This record gives sequence, structure tokens and C-alpha cells, in this order.
Amino acid sequence: MANLSLHQLTKSYGTTEVLHGISLDVADGEFVVLVGPSGCGKSTTLRMIAGLEETTSGIIEIGGREVNNLEPKERDIAMVFQNYAIYPHMSVKKNIAFGLRSSKLPKADKEKRIQEVAGILDMVPLLDRKPSQLSGGQRQRVAIGRAMVRDPAVFLFDEPLSNLDAQLRTQMRLEIKKLHQRVGNTIIFVTHDQVEAMTMADRIVIMKDGYIQQVGTPEEVFHKPANTFVARFIGAPSMNLLEGRVSGGAVSLGAGPEVRVPALRKSGGDVLLGVRPDDLHPGSGNPIVTGTVSLREPLGSETLIYVDTALGEITAKADGRTPPEVGATVELGAEPQNLHVFDKSSGEALT
Amino acid sequence: MYRNLTIRQKQIVWAWAFLAIPVLFYTVIRFYPTGNAILISFQDWNLLGDRTWAGLENYEKLWNDPVFWKVFQNTFVYLLLGTPISLVLSFVIAYHLDKLRFMHGFLRMLYFLPFMTSAVAMAWVWRWFYQDVPIGLFNNILASFGIPQIKFLQSTTNALPAVLAPAVWAGLGFQVIIFMAGLRAIPQSYYEAAKIDGVGWFTVLTQITIPLLRPTIVFIVVFSSIGFLRIFDHVFNMTTNNPGGPLNATKPLVLMIYDTAFNGFDMGYAAAQTVVLFTILLIVSLIQLRLLRSN
Repeated sequence: MANLSLHQLTKSYGTTEVLHGISLDVADGEFVVLVGPSGCGKSTTLRMIAGLEETTSGIIEIGGREVNNLEPKERDIAMVFQNYAIYPHMSVKKNIAFGLRSSKLPKADKEKRIQEVAGILDMVPLLDRKPSQLSGGQRQRVAIGRAMVRDPAVFLFDEPLSNLDAQLRTQMRLEIKKLHQRVGNTIIFVTHDQVEAMTMADRIVIMKDGYIQQVGTPEEVFHKPANTFVARFIGAPSMNLLEGRVSGGAVSLGAGPEVRVPALRKSGGDVLLGVRPDDLHPGSGNPIVTGTVSLREPLGSETLIYVDTALGEITAKADGRTPPEVGATVELGAEPQNLHVFDKSSGEALT
Repeated sequence: MYRNLTIRQKQIVWAWAFLAIPVLFYTVIRFYPTGNAILISFQDWNLLGDRTWAGLENYEKLWNDPVFWKVFQNTFVYLLLGTPISLVLSFVIAYHLDKLRFMHGFLRMLYFLPFMTSAVAMAWVWRWFYQDVPIGLFNNILASFGIPQIKFLQSTTNALPAVLAPAVWAGLGFQVIIFMAGLRAIPQSYYEAAKIDGVGWFTVLTQITIPLLRPTIVFIVVFSSIGFLRIFDHVFNMTTNNPGGPLNATKPLVLMIYDTAFNGFDMGYAAAQTVVLFTILLIVSLIQLRLLRSN
């Protein structure tokens, strides 16, 4: 049993409330990513789970046990920090052993555990080095090793990849995911990078301004965004949102044609029609809007085109070999099942 | 001509142009007198008459001078008591002050105040503290508890520590500030990681804080050692009636040099003492750097 649940968690600094009742259930062995723009409360949530920040109200349970008033060391967790927090004056081995310092294991068992972890992380030849002699990725692995050696119920990662360069980040992303498949502990991972969230998570928790916006698998949050914030935050380039009006199961966009949207839960009023650039192509059936191409971004297999329309600038994807010229007039269309409709005032999904 | 120089040569020309004044200053104010002092240490000179070559005579005299050995010993007592005491005190103060939020700035100012105060004024205030009843503060306090009087400045055993105390106190503020800067530079996540790993405060102190403060400690040890080896103003002002007394019990090397030069007008002998002090400072600093900067 190493599931984690948060019930109506709030956090205030003085009179300012920064987290407004976070509730979340994480199953044993699940990889959950908290993602959101800076200041959304994701790191605060993680630090509260770790016991580094006090909880203003609400309950944190780890493995079915309320831990609100327990010291971090009693919570059966381990944490990997953004700057790794590995001690520059200690060897790799001593750094990893530091995680076991307070444990009551006999010395031989500790040694065995360290060797085991070093083996899993491919660090045995590096054990006697100082952190200054390691690369960024290796330091990252030392930090993970120090967390692993304690064999915690829950791993907490606080933006651990943001100090690495792009290539290494992709590589470490894979390594952490592989590690999770191999070790199988529960992981809570905080990041501001939606690509990291999408690629690593079993489930994603998208947060904004201290509220959870949506919880779901990467597929769910991508294909069924709960609101305009999630729709724009997940996926790059961002989803186009076009202003329109609903009348009888169809959305009319200014002077353009009426667009039929399946399973629409609203019969009248102002809405936003959302369509991802990946789903919006020139010259396809079901035309939605026409405009002139103002800019092209070739990506190789595809070309992103920025189209000026009566509804504003829209991003779409065209073929990589024969994209429309800048200045050409194009008719953009999308399959009806790829259209999203949101309420204009509340931003909530209506499909 | 300047136009034809390469960029690198132009940079060198400008560098030397800006360096000219400090170089001149150091040559005239520092290096020339240092060299001259070493030269005078091999001569006899009373400031007015001719300089006459004396060879190693001054150094032989020094070797055979019982006062010099007493002073030599005093100087090292100042160093060996003063440096560790002020190091530990300033660390303990900084360590706790760093965690304190209440009146933090005000307390820091109070600790820093003695560093900014004139040594003369401070020495005289402490002199008053040390007087007998009914004047002295300390003896009055002792008397009110019925404890016998302590001869602070008049006893050959108590005088040196009594003079050292205000000297330690005076330097404390500076060292506290340096230690606090060092403590602030340690990333908070090191402590948070240790908290999650569940290690106690003593382990955190000895395994994380102190090792990471090593550069700060090296700086403070070297700096305060030099300070205690050159101690003069506190001693001179607290024992003005009989500088360095009683019976040379508080006399440091610098005071002996001053005495020899400007009371005895024996410039050669004073210069020889200066050279010895210079050598001691050099050796002590080098040893400390070597010991504390390892790996």
C-alpha cells in the first residue's frame, strides 16, 4: 500500500490563499505529473506532501495513513530537487549513503543497498567521484540514487529536468520513465513543461492559480480538454479558439459556413470553437474558415502556416512538400470529431 | 604610434596606465619601507645620527633578550587564545542569528557596532569595567554577590586575558557578518534534502554546514590570526601607565617594537623585531592556508 490521497488541501501565506482545496487520489505505482504555469501551486502542493511546507487545512494520506503532523522523514517519501541538492564536498557514494544515514539498517546491508542502487542507475564506476567531476545528467542520477536508496513509498520530483539542456532532458525523461517501469514506486512529478507531462505521466494533473483544472491520462487531457485553459496549455502549437454562436446543434463563425459539431451540450449563446493546428488543414473537407497565408514555418514533414482570417490569426498544418505560398488564399477545414466547443464566458467544454 | 598597436597591445597600454598610480603608491609606501626596514635591521641608528653597519648584532641581541622571549610568548598566547575563541563565538552567534527573524537587523547592528567603534574609546571603557570597587563594573557585580575582588589588569596572570577580551569583542561583529554571508550562500535545498533524509541537526551541522563553510572559515582564521599577531592598540590603551605591563605580562611584539623605536630610539633593534614579526605573520598565514585549503 503506497497510494496517496489529498483531501481539500489548502495553503495560505498570511491572508493570501494560494491553494484552494486540492483533492487528488493517486494509486499505488502510478506516475502522476503535476503541470501548470509558474505560480499555479504545483511545487507548493509537492512540498506540502513532502512535509517541507505546513498544510493550512485539508488532509494528506500516504499509504492510508494521515501524515499531516509527521516530520518529512516519517512520511516514507523521498524527494529529488530542481538543483539536485547533492553535497559538493561528498563523493557520489557518500551522497547516496546520506539517504540511509538515519536508517537503522546494519552497515553491510546499507552497503549492499548502495551498490544495488548504483547498479540500477549505472553509476558503479562513478561512486568515488566528487559531484564536480560529473556531468549534469550524472548529477541528476546521483540525486535519484539518494532518493531510491531509501526505498520510499512515494517519490517526489520537483522540476528535476529543468536545469538540463534539451537533449539531455529528453534522455533523462526516458530514463526516469524506464526506472519507474522497473521499480514501480508511486511517483509525483512536478514540471512546467507540458511535453514532459505528456510523455511521462500515467495521469496528468493540470493546475492553474491554485485550482486543479483537469485530471486525466495524457490522451484524455489532449483529446478531451475540460476547459479553454487546458486546451491551450496542452499541445504545441496551441489550440486555435474561434469566437462563434451556437444555434441548434451547429456553430456559426461570423460570415463563414455553419459548422456541425457532434454531441454539443448547448443549444444557444456565445461559444469558442477550438481546433488544434494538427487537425486543421488547407483544402480538406468540412471547411471552417478562409484566409490568406501570412507566414510559413517548415518543420520538415509538415509546414505550420499562419493564416489571417476574419476571425483573427489561425495556425494550421499543411503538407511539408507542397505547402501553400505566403499570400495565397486557403480554405481550412477539420473533421467534426476533432472540433471542441467551449462556453465563452466560463471556458468550460461543451462537447 | 598608438594607432599601429594591436588591440591586445592597446589593452596592455591602458592596463598599465590605470595601474601606474597603485604601483607607484605600493612602491613608495609599502615595498621601499619594507626593504629599508630589512636593511636597517642590520644597522645601528638612533634616528638622528649616522647609520652604522652592525651585521647580525641586532638579531643576536634579540635572541639573548629575555623580554623578547616573554613578548614572543605573549604574542602567541594572543593568537592561540584569540583566534579559536573568536571563531567559535562568531560562528555560534551567526548560526543562531541567521535563524532568527525577530529584530534581526537590529541585533546584527548591535554585534557590528564594536567593530566600528574606536579601539581607544573601547579600551578605556573596558578599563573602567576592570577597576576595583566602588568604580569598576565587574568587581561591583562580584562584590554584590559577596565574591572576592579580582585583580583584572594588575595581576600578571589575569592581565593578558583581560586585555584580550575586548579585542575579541571588537572583531566579533565583522566575523559574524562574514559567517552569515557564508551561511546564506548555502542553498536551502541542502537542508531540505537532509530534513527528508531525516538526519539530526548535529549531523547537518557537522556534515553539511561546516564543510560548506570551509572557505569562509579559512578567510576568518587567516584574517583574525593576522589581527591578533598585530595586536597593539587595545594593549597600549588599557595599560597606558605601564605599557605592556604588569611586568611585560601583556606586551605583544608590536608594542615592543614601538617601545624600542620611539622610546629607546634604537631603530636597528626595532627593525630587527619588525623583520621577525613579518616572518612570523608570513609563516602562520602560509601554514593556515595550506592546512585549511587541502583538497
